[in-house]
Amino acid sequence: MANRTDPAAKSIRGTNPQNLVEKILRSKIYQHTYWKEQCFGLTAETLVDKAMELDHLGGTHGGNRKPTPFMCLVMKMLQIQPDKDIVVEFIKNEDYKYVRALGAFYLRLTGTDIDVYRYLEPLYNDYRKLRRKLADGKYTLTHVDEVIDELLTQDYSCDIALPRVKKRWTLENIGSLEPRKSALEDDFEEEEEKDEEDQLVAELEDEGHEKDYYRGRSPARERDRDRKRDSHRYRDRDYERDYDRDRGRGRDRDRDRDRDRDRERDRDRDRHRLREDKEYGRDREWEGRERDRRDRDRGRRRSPSRSRSRSRDRKDRDEERRKRHARSSASPRRRGDRPEDASTRDEPKKKKEKKEKKDDGTDHPDPEIAAANKLRASLGMKPLK
Amino acid sequence: MIEVVLNDRLGKKVKVKCNEDDTIGDLKKLVAAQTGTRPDKIRIQKWYNTYKDHITLKDYEIHDGMGLELYYN
Repeated sequence: MANRTDPAAKSIRGTNPQNLVEKILRSKIYQHTYWKEQCFGLTAETLVDKAMELDHLGGTHGGNRKPTPFMCLVMKMLQIQPDKDIVVEFIKNEDYKYVRALGAFYLRLTGTDIDVYRYLEPLYNDYRKLRRKLADGKYTLTHVDEVIDELLTQDYSCDIALPRVKKRWTLENIGSLEPRKSALEDDFEEEEEKDEEDQLVAELEDEGHEKDYYRGRSPARERDRDRKRDSHRYRDRDYERDYDRDRGRGRDRDRDRDRDRDRERDRDRDRHRLREDKEYGRDREWEGRERDRRDRDRGRRRSPSRSRSRSRDRKDRDEERRKRHARSSASPRRRGDRPEDASTRDEPKKKKEKKEKKDDGTDHPDPEIAAANKLRASLGMKPLK
Repeated sequence: MIEVVLNDRLGKKVKVKCNEDDTIGDLKKLVAAQTGTRPDKIRIQKWYNTYKDHITLKDYEIHDGMGLELYYN
């Protein structure tokens, strides 16, 4: 039977490899003419020829959801299960970008976590354009690195649910993977140095009479603070404390760079998470930030030149700086100050929430309708009438 | 605000509250939120007429309490 998996093939993730594609899509592929005509009796070699003829990626399209030839070839690969070396060859070849994309997709579906990261991350440096067919039949432009990013960060691509892989930092923590080396590493260093200088200049303008050492420390700390907040991976408190205790800016900078790199890559994902976190994790973040501040204060106190001036000017400058760069301040906060700032921060928060409630109708007296409106708001729709 | 019933004849029957000027695409999103399938995998039909995503419920003359057929892509 043409649609049976090769009996010598191993089972992937506990099941027949063809089951990675769900039933409805699978049947659509089997009934498609491309599958019936071109994909009959393909072997690994002849599959390469067919892959070279590909000219677009995509999932299903049209009213009756026809699969693309790309999908059919992915299915064929799942059926015949080529060896890992062959798949790696597909990925490594430079000439045919669609063959590369095909190999990458297959590896993402069938490979182990470490293999996935190891072989797919070099493809981030490939900037070539790809053609992608959308669900309504139109073509759109995308790039190889965008596709790889989608494979690594999303769990759904080309109408196939991608199997779960562990997050990169989990693998780094257990030591199976090295921290990511980006091709833009040198550019980052230059940018960092430039940023530092800019901030130093800004600091000079703000605090005229502060000592050099203090000035020297604060830009690094501010940068740390910004990046730490953005990366949102710091649920582990010990990790944070270790990070703070790092002496010497050299080590700080290394870590910053690593975080930056991962942050860049996970930027989109984190942005989504940021949005969620704003709603659900605000308290937890606040706590974490307080701990940050405490730790940083401990570091600060070690510096002999720490200015103890509690003048209004300094507080205002701090607030200004805070508003410009960050959400919370690193300078030692007195008890009296905190409710002030907390209330000013709460007010805009409350105003925003109230405004949202009024628009979305989530404060409707009937709880069912309120719940429905909340769902609609999360999907981006107007409330019920 | 109208309430539409979608039935897939295999055990899933969902009631969805929506506005008349919502499109079928919006309705699919609401159904997806309730059933757990993805919105692009859902097909809403009425006896061989597959409803298109960009047309509103009002234009399809879908009224309160009406039943639609739920299929999957």
